[in-house]
Amino acid sequence: MKYLPLIWAALRRKPARTLLTCFSIITAFFLFGTLQGINVGIAKIMALTSASHLMVMSRVNAGAPMPIAHAVQIRSVPGVTAVAPFNAVIGTYQQPSNPMIVIGTDMDAMLKVSADLIVPADQAAAMRRTRNGIIVGVTTAKQYGWKLGDRVPLHGIATKTDGTTDWAFDIVGFYTLQQPDWATRIFANYDFINEAITTGKNQATFFYVGINDPAKSAAISQMIDDRFANSPDQTSTSNEKDYLETTLRQIGDINYLVNGVVGAVLFTLLFLTSNTIAQSVRERTAELAVLKTLGFTDAGVQWLVLAEALILGMGSAALGVALASRVLPWVTSGPTLSSQGIGSMHVPGLVYAAAAVVALLLALISGVPPALRARRLNIVAALSGR
Amino acid sequence: MAAVVSIQNVVKSYTRGRQRVEVLHSLNLEVQSGEFLGLMGPSGSGKTTLLNLIGGLDKPDEGQITVAGERLDKLSGSQMAAWRARHVGFVFQFYNLLPVLSAERNVEVPLLLTKLSRAQRKSNVAAALALVGLSDRASHKPTELSGGQQQRVAIARALIADPTLLVCDEPTGDLDRESAEEILQLLTILNQKQGKTIVMVTHDPRAAAYATRLLHMDKGTLARDESRTAA
Repeated sequence: MKYLPLIWAALRRKPARTLLTCFSIITAFFLFGTLQGINVGIAKIMALTSASHLMVMSRVNAGAPMPIAHAVQIRSVPGVTAVAPFNAVIGTYQQPSNPMIVIGTDMDAMLKVSADLIVPADQAAAMRRTRNGIIVGVTTAKQYGWKLGDRVPLHGIATKTDGTTDWAFDIVGFYTLQQPDWATRIFANYDFINEAITTGKNQATFFYVGINDPAKSAAISQMIDDRFANSPDQTSTSNEKDYLETTLRQIGDINYLVNGVVGAVLFTLLFLTSNTIAQSVRERTAELAVLKTLGFTDAGVQWLVLAEALILGMGSAALGVALASRVLPWVTSGPTLSSQGIGSMHVPGLVYAAAAVVALLLALISGVPPALRARRLNIVAALSGR
Repeated sequence: MAAVVSIQNVVKSYTRGRQRVEVLHSLNLEVQSGEFLGLMGPSGSGKTTLLNLIGGLDKPDEGQITVAGERLDKLSGSQMAAWRARHVGFVFQFYNLLPVLSAERNVEVPLLLTKLSRAQRKSNVAAALALVGLSDRASHKPTELSGGQQQRVAIARALIADPTLLVCDEPTGDLDRESAEEILQLLTILNQKQGKTIVMVTHDPRAAAYATRLLHMDKGTLARDESRTAA
């Protein structure tokens, strides 16, 4: 610790150069932390999704509306245990910058499809009794400080049958999940929403389907799609795991590219940091020689230079990953992911450890050559400018 | 008086390009404890080489050098570094202070190698800066000090570990007349009042006049040895 002022002084010698190098390392490790966090998040989502749920969507376009009458036909397919239609109201809560999605569904069917979705029996009963009732994920409830019985006003983006865009929902229950962070959806009664909306009436953007045997998910999916093969509203059915895999693979491919870019950035950074430390040592040749003159050993001077590289590299990397750990949950906490039942993503501990190892390697590779140069520095030659 | 420096048959040469140039030829010298030795001579006469050998910055090719009771020609690199920290204080022509450190931090640097606590180091630094008359400039960086003040900081740094020997290479070479006089008077006080043995290389006859003994070097040998009364 007593040598810290010396190391700090060396880093402050050219503050602009040190800061620019820091920013480069921070940016690289911010990217590293964010992307690795997303990768781990995706893997976690995949591990927790089930093949026993089917998603029935329009073959034309995911999210395109289908007639609600499809629900009855889907329910009649052998192996199907429950069908929950989804039709969402999109709006803002309290302020325009606060988007929110409320999903209209058949809550009893939803609870049959998703066995992991836990709602106390009295609250599920209250949902049946209360037309404008909503059941809220515990994470969202905690985020807004909502309590049972609270009224949630929503300013919708589409006009209702009464000519207004305002909705008022009463909280009748809360649900939790095995992964509580992901309990972010807001469920309302399908009928209540369906009666009030002017567009998309009697329609659903997708059906969430429970089946009795996950091993038969492919066959049941095919049977469902076959039911609507000659209909103007053809369907595309897959199990939830396959659906997410297909969707996330696209992100995965992007990640592959971005990981390549991050790798290239880190590789370039190696040269940048090496150059910064090497240049700093070259400029301080006389100063390092003075330290040796005053009694610092060759090894001592070498460690001082290496410590500079370690502090610069690892300190900046820590800032970059810390920034990623703040930004990633914030970026992924929007309504798009939460309405999918996926909570915000976090930078996991493994990524911190990986970042520490990468930063250590970066610092060592860039710091060792100038440190050795400092170690070999001849006092007499350095002081005489040779 | 005991000899602080004892040099016997020392030969030192350097390689310049493809040529090997012998700078010191079988040199013999003794410096007694408490002496203020001035080394004079034309450029290339071997003054700085001799100073570097005495200060343990370099090793002879042949011969023996004993300084403060230690055979320097026998020490390893790390032993030599530890020996320098204990026994020698260096004062350079261009001060060689660390530019981003304050005066007190510069003076503290040699103490970082000791086991003194932070409080003890701080107290010793304050005493050294008071000795050179720079207590009020402790927090100033070298660029905020005049040449004379920077050299005083360098002297405080050289004294901080209470060395046996002060080695000064042209300590007034970069200073105006008035500052040079102040530095030389300070060195004289250190020599006379604190009994510090000083070896000083200089080109300036007025600086040399402060030495109690003057050695003239020429072509790698001692040409003349004058004992004298300091100015």
